Amino acid sequence: MKQTLFSATLDNGVVLVGEELPGLESVAVAFHTPAGAVHDGPERCGLATLSGEMMLRGAGDRSSREVVETLEGAGVQWSQAVSTSHASFAGAMVARQLPAALPIYADMLRRPRLEAAEFANARQMVLQNLAGTEDDPSHRAMSALRQLHYPAPWGMPSEGISTQVEALGVEAVREFVAHNVRPGGTIISIAGRIDWPDFVARAESLFGDWSPGAATAVPTGPRGPRFRHVPHDSQQTHIALAWSAPPYRSDESYEASAALAILGGGTSARLFTEVRERRGLCYSVSAGYQTLRDHAAAVCYSGTSAARAQETLDVMLGEIGRLPGTLTAEELDRVKARAKSGLVMQQESSASRANAIARQWYHLGKVRTLADELARYDSITVDSIEAWLAANPVRDMSVVSLGREPLEVTHAVSA
Amino acid sequence: MQFRHERLANGLDVIAEISPGALSTSVGFFVRTGARDESDSLWGASHFLEHMVFKGTHDLSADEINRRFDWMGAAANAFTSEEDTVYHAAVLPDQQEQAVSLLARMMRPALRDEDFRTEKLVILEEIRMYDDQPPFGADDRCRAAFFGGHPLARSVLGTVDSVTALTVEAMRDYHRRRYAPGNIVLACTGAVDFDALVESARRHCGEWDPLPPPDRAVPPTARPPGGRSTVEAITRPAAALEYAVRMSAGPDGADDDRFPAKVLAVILGDDSGSRLYWSLVDSGDAEHASLHHHDFLDAGLFATQLSCDASDVEAMLARIVDLYVEVGRRGVAAAELEQARNKLAGRVVLAGERPRRRLFGVGLEWARAGRYRSVADDLAIVEGIDLDDVHRVLARWPLHGPSTTVLAGPHAAASL
Repeated sequence: MKQTLFSATLDNGVVLVGEELPGLESVAVAFHTPAGAVHDGPERCGLATLSGEMMLRGAGDRSSREVVETLEGAGVQWSQAVSTSHASFAGAMVARQLPAALPIYADMLRRPRLEAAEFANARQMVLQNLAGTEDDPSHRAMSALRQLHYPAPWGMPSEGISTQVEALGVEAVREFVAHNVRPGGTIISIAGRIDWPDFVARAESLFGDWSPGAATAVPTGPRGPRFRHVPHDSQQTHIALAWSAPPYRSDESYEASAALAILGGGTSARLFTEVRERRGLCYSVSAGYQTLRDHAAAVCYSGTSAARAQETLDVMLGEIGRLPGTLTAEELDRVKARAKSGLVMQQESSASRANAIARQWYHLGKVRTLADELARYDSITVDSIEAWLAANPVRDMSVVSLGREPLEVTHAVSA
Repeated sequence: MQFRHERLANGLDVIAEISPGALSTSVGFFVRTGARDESDSLWGASHFLEHMVFKGTHDLSADEINRRFDWMGAAANAFTSEEDTVYHAAVLPDQQEQAVSLLARMMRPALRDEDFRTEKLVILEEIRMYDDQPPFGADDRCRAAFFGGHPLARSVLGTVDSVTALTVEAMRDYHRRRYAPGNIVLACTGAVDFDALVESARRHCGEWDPLPPPDRAVPPTARPPGGRSTVEAITRPAAALEYAVRMSAGPDGADDDRFPAKVLAVILGDDSGSRLYWSLVDSGDAEHASLHHHDFLDAGLFATQLSCDASDVEAMLARIVDLYVEVGRRGVAAAELEQARNKLAGRVVLAGERPRRRLFGVGLEWARAGRYRSVADDLAIVEGIDLDDVHRVLARWPLHGPSTTVLAGPHAAASL
């Protein structure tokens, strides 16, 4: 498949990456600034999320409401999110709207008003969202799992902690934005129906005179305990497991994610087959690979009635333990087929591609071509996965149960 | 894009929207059956049957079906609603035949006793899973109260009791009646080889017994309880927020006013940039406040969804009703209409680029109305809506009129 990729770096460090997707009418653009939750700081969990919200609430000569109405009036599907590593502002639109949309995003990054008058509402909105996540059992379980698995602050919940958000003031937001929203580490990605030279020229004029600032160091702390039970008044008990995996930039991440796909990636994967299809123990069960820049995880999840949760956990652990030495070529072929068709179908969505190429730049400092990616998948063999599994036995597993009663996990910790 | 249609001798419709340059092919079987076609003793059968379809045929095991989908790299799944049951797979174009033939064979499942017993456990877990999640059943309960004795009152999943009581014999009979070829549409979008599609449909579905398409109960009383608003409550003492669902009447699926109704819902209650957003969400007074229009064959409704601090729920509902009174009195502004039309047009274009998104629009429209609408047709509809259309909707179905509201959360019991 023909693929047209571009990249450029402005003098101040802003990286531009692009992919032309023939046949699309749309274009998607995403601005990822290095103002993620990892920079929240002690006792300020939620500061990045609150700052991201404030950056939307008025920028340049537009009020909060004018920002949204201008974007939506142009038919831009906009979004804003704060992850562990980045604050991201994105939009997907019919290509002719791009010249009108770009300056609004430039204002959000470079000239957010951060007005005191908006602050109370923004903080209240963040607190409302936090309360909403309290009612979502699977979200709570996975959030608790990340806190156990990753060393602080990499596992802290980006949505924040209520008591800490309540104590934040507008000055903290202004300081956070001044330190962390900066050209170095900012990635602007664009995909779809693009005119690359025109885009570079516009980006140069909007961001070229943005003064660089120093990167903020992130001191990495210790990991949490290996097991936590989260009391929750629910009929189901939710089980979340994690153990270490190589980060995406490591070449072995392909073997790791293939092994996890065989364990729990599709409906023919082992967990779905053994836990749901054979035993009817649950509705949802899966395994997958998650990565930050320097840390990654193998993650398994299931939710089931309290009375059947122990059996579900035991079967999951049994399948995890059974994986080394038992992989088959047929299983690997199915994993490769799924990965390949997923990569190709991603080319049908400008927004998916804009995110994918930015993610690759963050992790690798380059965009991998589709051909390279497919070739790397082709090079995975049963032997290469087995070798990786043998060299990286599952240990130090983090276990979260969420529900009315804790589970018995001595077996899990020694798995 | 090109549209093709062919009907097999036994009544099965085969349709395709062909985009020659597309990178993928999406395939779906759309069965005109859902919760509204059940009786009390079959409550939950449509959705349970959707699961059983993946448990195998007389010569294909469940494991074999799962392996084949993964082998062809398919993104395959299914869903059941009040009126439709849809099985779908997105694949690369060279897998079209594999995907069509597998889905076609699945439409004649074995419905084995043992699989039925095991899968019943999975369904019961699914019911508990949703019961543990916001809005804690308030949506199903509100629809039940809104529709009263009408078949649309039935929830798709059923209840623990109704699913427990279901028998495999009753499901086999339901399948025989409802999965008649004249009640099914095979739809394809993306890079489609239409001749091969029809040939494959003949080979795999041509022998299906040409039973007459089943009747669908469309009682004349498809309307909300007249004149009187009701409020019910589900108590969830441990919930962090209070959840509310409020329904009032709207245009049905045969009424052309359903299009301006959707534009009105965007103006008033889209997830961002709408009146509810600026009044309740932007201010941090509510976690969520939105308005959507849903249409069925013979009924339609506006659904307001709210989540907020439990102690604020009455005040927030009152503020929403005030907004509805205000818009009924003063109408909407031209600028609001323009913004909503542009938003919807952007969504139509972006969704139109993905065959797996187009599949649902194309297939459901044919299953419901025997009609095809292209992306350009959809855009023309959006662009043709004017202020008079929106104001007519407000006059015909006043949003502040009789409504059904269900609350769920810590405050629910105390508030009544």
